[in-house]
Amino acid sequence: MLRYFLIRLGQSLALMFGVLLLVFMMLRVTGDPAALMLPREASAAEIEAFRERMGFNRPIIVQFVDFLSKAVVGDFGESLHFRTPAMTLVTQRLPATVELAATGLLFAVLIGVPIGMMGGLKPGSAADSLARLLALMGQSIPNFWLAMLMILFFGVQLRWFPTFGRGAWNSVVMPAFVLGLPVMGQIVRLTRSTVLEIRSEDFVRTAYSKGLEPPVIYLKHILRNASIPIISVIGVQFGYMLGGSIYIETIFAWPGMGQLLQLAIGWRDFPLVQAIAIFTSTVVIALNLLTDLVYAIIDPRIRYGF
Amino acid sequence: MASETSPRPADSLLDIQRTWWDRLAFIGRLLWRDKGGMLGLFLFLLVVFSAVFAPWIAPHDPLEQVMEDSKMPPAWSVGGSWEHPLGTDTLGRDIFSRIIYGSRVSLTVGFFGVLIAGTLGMIIGAIAGYLGGRVDSVITNTVNLVLSLPYLLFVVFIAAIFGRSLLNVILIFGITDAPIFARVTRGEVLKIRESGYVESARCAGASWARIVFDHIMPNLIGPLITLATFEMSAMIFYEAGLGFLGLSVPPSVPSWGNMLAAGRQYLTSYPWIATFPGVAIMITSLGMNLLGDWLRDVLDPRLRRARK
Amino acid sequence: MKAKLLGLLAVILAVSMIVVGCAPAPTPQVVEKVVKETVVVEKPVEKTVVVEKQVVVTPTPGKPQPKGTLRFALSGEPNSLYIPATADKNADIAASQLYDPLVFQDDDGTIVPALAESWEVSKDGTEYIFHLRKGVTFHNGEPFTADDVIATWKYGMGEGSSWPDRYSIAKSVEKIDDYTVRVTTDGPKPLLLVTMHDFWSIIPNEYMEKVGLDGFQQHPIGTGPFMFVEWVKGDHITYQANPNYWREGQPRVEKVIFRFITESSTRVAALTADEIDLTKRLTAEEANQLLSVPGVKVIQYPVARIFYIAFNNLTTGKGLPTEDAKVRQAMNYAVDVDAILKSLFGGAGKRAAGFVASSELGYGVVKPFPYDPEKAKQLLAEAGYPNGFKIDMACPTGAYSHFEEVCQAVAGYLEKVGIKVNLEFMESAHYWDLEAKKELPPLFGDSWADESGEAYNRLKGALGGWDAPYSSWSDPKIDELLDAISKEVDQAKRKALYEELQVYMQENPPFIYLYEPYTFEAMRDRVMDYYPRASEMCYLNKVWLATPE
Repeated sequence: MLRYFLIRLGQSLALMFGVLLLVFMMLRVTGDPAALMLPREASAAEIEAFRERMGFNRPIIVQFVDFLSKAVVGDFGESLHFRTPAMTLVTQRLPATVELAATGLLFAVLIGVPIGMMGGLKPGSAADSLARLLALMGQSIPNFWLAMLMILFFGVQLRWFPTFGRGAWNSVVMPAFVLGLPVMGQIVRLTRSTVLEIRSEDFVRTAYSKGLEPPVIYLKHILRNASIPIISVIGVQFGYMLGGSIYIETIFAWPGMGQLLQLAIGWRDFPLVQAIAIFTSTVVIALNLLTDLVYAIIDPRIRYGF
Repeated sequence: MASETSPRPADSLLDIQRTWWDRLAFIGRLLWRDKGGMLGLFLFLLVVFSAVFAPWIAPHDPLEQVMEDSKMPPAWSVGGSWEHPLGTDTLGRDIFSRIIYGSRVSLTVGFFGVLIAGTLGMIIGAIAGYLGGRVDSVITNTVNLVLSLPYLLFVVFIAAIFGRSLLNVILIFGITDAPIFARVTRGEVLKIRESGYVESARCAGASWARIVFDHIMPNLIGPLITLATFEMSAMIFYEAGLGFLGLSVPPSVPSWGNMLAAGRQYLTSYPWIATFPGVAIMITSLGMNLLGDWLRDVLDPRLRRARK
Repeated sequence: MKAKLLGLLAVILAVSMIVVGCAPAPTPQVVEKVVKETVVVEKPVEKTVVVEKQVVVTPTPGKPQPKGTLRFALSGEPNSLYIPATADKNADIAASQLYDPLVFQDDDGTIVPALAESWEVSKDGTEYIFHLRKGVTFHNGEPFTADDVIATWKYGMGEGSSWPDRYSIAKSVEKIDDYTVRVTTDGPKPLLLVTMHDFWSIIPNEYMEKVGLDGFQQHPIGTGPFMFVEWVKGDHITYQANPNYWREGQPRVEKVIFRFITESSTRVAALTADEIDLTKRLTAEEANQLLSVPGVKVIQYPVARIFYIAFNNLTTGKGLPTEDAKVRQAMNYAVDVDAILKSLFGGAGKRAAGFVASSELGYGVVKPFPYDPEKAKQLLAEAGYPNGFKIDMACPTGAYSHFEEVCQAVAGYLEKVGIKVNLEFMESAHYWDLEAKKELPPLFGDSWADESGEAYNRLKGALGGWDAPYSSWSDPKIDELLDAISKEVDQAKRKALYEELQVYMQENPPFIYLYEPYTFEAMRDRVMDYYPRASEMCYLNKVWLATPE
């Protein structure tokens, strides 16, 4: 067990190294921040001096090794734009990002699972049509468009929710809804098809013949068995949502990771982009590792060829 | 679960015994049974039709700017005219014509995006699933690497290298979407490998190529076609997101994403500029999702049985 | 399910059609009307005129006691509140409320005393003696003295400053006594006082030494009308009124909260829903649509910025038809800038007459090129291109309001006279990187602002040849005139030089001159005495709320 864990950990670290190298290279190909950080009237010599000072003139590999040797001891550099430690900026965005992601997923599950179950239990019924339509709508309305329509209607017209920002308890409602909608569509489909499958399995028929009340069967037998794939979808989605959503955060002025990333890339703030990349890839890799471990514990046969 | 499913779906389109005519009739029957699928197919064909025959359908050149006619409302509201059925945008271009031509961009992006993602993903996934072991582990990890990259950085990177072009949009989707195809392919190949009949074929002396093309491919096609439909719809949907970031095709090219993104500033004053491309994206995406749902049911006999 | 799905879809479609159909459909005529009613005063002096609606002004509160909270939506988060580190206008606006400079440029452009009560200039214009105001304290109680002026100057040139040349404009800053400072320059610097107003925001020497640059940026301190309270990253910045402010009766609001909203349509929504009091940088349509919102007033004013399509004779444009002045003139005649302004900006904007903005010294000697496609074709024929030619052009995306559409329109107009334009768009940061490396195509679009009241920096920056990163054009005659301007102290002679240059640049245009934009801002009716500058800067020390909550 421990051996397996260590091997996976080693792989993950190698993976992170790869992610960083890729991010590092890709960033530098798209131009350095000298042009953005200096006033427009700066002379060509001043720009050159700036590059020299920031070390952008060195060979890219030297820059990478320099960055890496500092990152290893927890120094991810200072944001060029904000002039504060880059990782601090990233962790400051964490509460808002988690709040949005968690609420969005909650929406998706609370609405998606019951609707999906309704559809799966009575395929072909009106409820099923509605379920399918909702799932489809969730996956076909461009989200920033929906976000703007919602702001105009629920924020400006009805004044039910704040139009922007993070503050009052209800400020998370609209962004979370828009963020959760496509996931809801996915969950509706998944629940529906899983329930469809389970419905005709033997243990469900047995439960019926034992004379159990339908609600009990739905909850105890069907939902419980359908929850496994749903939970795995939630896990995957949560990982990506922690990377933030650029569209939704921008439209709702939500102080999350997506806006920070957009800003960082827009300003070519190398240390900040790298810090975000380290953070998000760590989250994704950690979640992957966790899933693998859980599988390995559940099913001892899995050893992935080691 | 795997034991219940026969590896080769019987009673399906892919059944080798069927003639082409049989298959067509079979599809027709299935379609008739599922009106959602029919609607999906209809919407999809509508988009294909408008893409193919755009020059004959569109009343105007989608690039023609007539400043004097800018911001004309749709024909049925005050100030509109049937000259421009869905109105004009800020540069006086005909919105209806741009939407018709926009279907070309959407379909091109969707088709080639899926083609690249599918090909890449299938090859990677098949190798990983077929060879297993260390190779699988390396490939799976690399795929995870691509998935954990900040998407925006990747988009900006591709855009910086290729400029804002159709090629860059196709590449972005082709590469970022490949892991999904790889995952599905890998999963299916693993399932087939486990089922044991590949093993028996190998024992019977079948060549490597024969195993892949005769035994593995036919079983893969179903799930992959379904996935391709969904992903194509997703790409049409994501193109709007790229438009919002200002990184889709050049703004002059009529694309739904660009039109929607440019029109969002006028949402309250000239709502038609953003509404129609939004509706176009929705309808197309909806149609392809319905089609994908139906295909999945058709190509996966397990589900169809359950639905009866 | 069958038909139900279809039915539902039909309903959704129908609803969206109705939404579109029913929505108030402002025809172009309505837009025109608004434009006509918009009064815009030409000078940056008191250029702010409230459009259409005027609020009944309740008498100014007799005993000035700061009241109420001003909720100010910026279009992005400031990067720093330390003036030498500020990267953009948002940072500049937020930061400037915390500090005072030695001299202040008033709303009408004159330089008035601030932390310096008076000053003398030596005959040769290279030595300034400033007499400092006594009894002023920083927010932390530290008294303001000459040492703080020296510290400000030194830190401004040092590590962590993005604008060192704004401080090194002074050769030395010396303390004569606690309340007297001598500033010397290398030769006369006509722009010294304006630069001091813009950048020399005095910081407390002792505090800075104690907490260091990082500590200072965490909790900035100045002598200004507002005191720093907190900065919740990504969300808001809060200030409180400085009770000991040296200007009597100011500030007049008790609290200022800056919110950061990038998406302009969200700013409009937030203002409409009364969640913010004031916001900047709206589009013409957004301003137009806010005019009909009760409780909201809209202002517009010209910004000292010029948009242009640049030619290139240094790198990519070498050997192309655009090296011929007639071709460049033709391209200026070919573009109907007024039509572009009318369609994209509701007419709010001014066709640029050359590269000197209307608020700047020497403006008015040349007229903008009229729209004359026939003349353009004739000039092209004379230059030997009767059938036009092909050329590449690039523009940034997401950089300026409607600029993508402007570039498309320009390309469209050029095409009408036979010049086939291959227009390419690039993400803005990448674009500027290429621009600084002179690797953009032979035609490229951009804009240039200037806050100094003169066009010199803009001209030098965009036409300085190889010395200037953002220049792709070099012309010895222009170099010669610019050099003369940089050395001339006499205002009348400077004006004459600017005029000569403009005439030359009309015959030999290095750009397709586009427009000077207007900017739109909006606020709740309760916001009073808010006067933004042509540079989009604003000072909140006089602002008050008619009905503070």
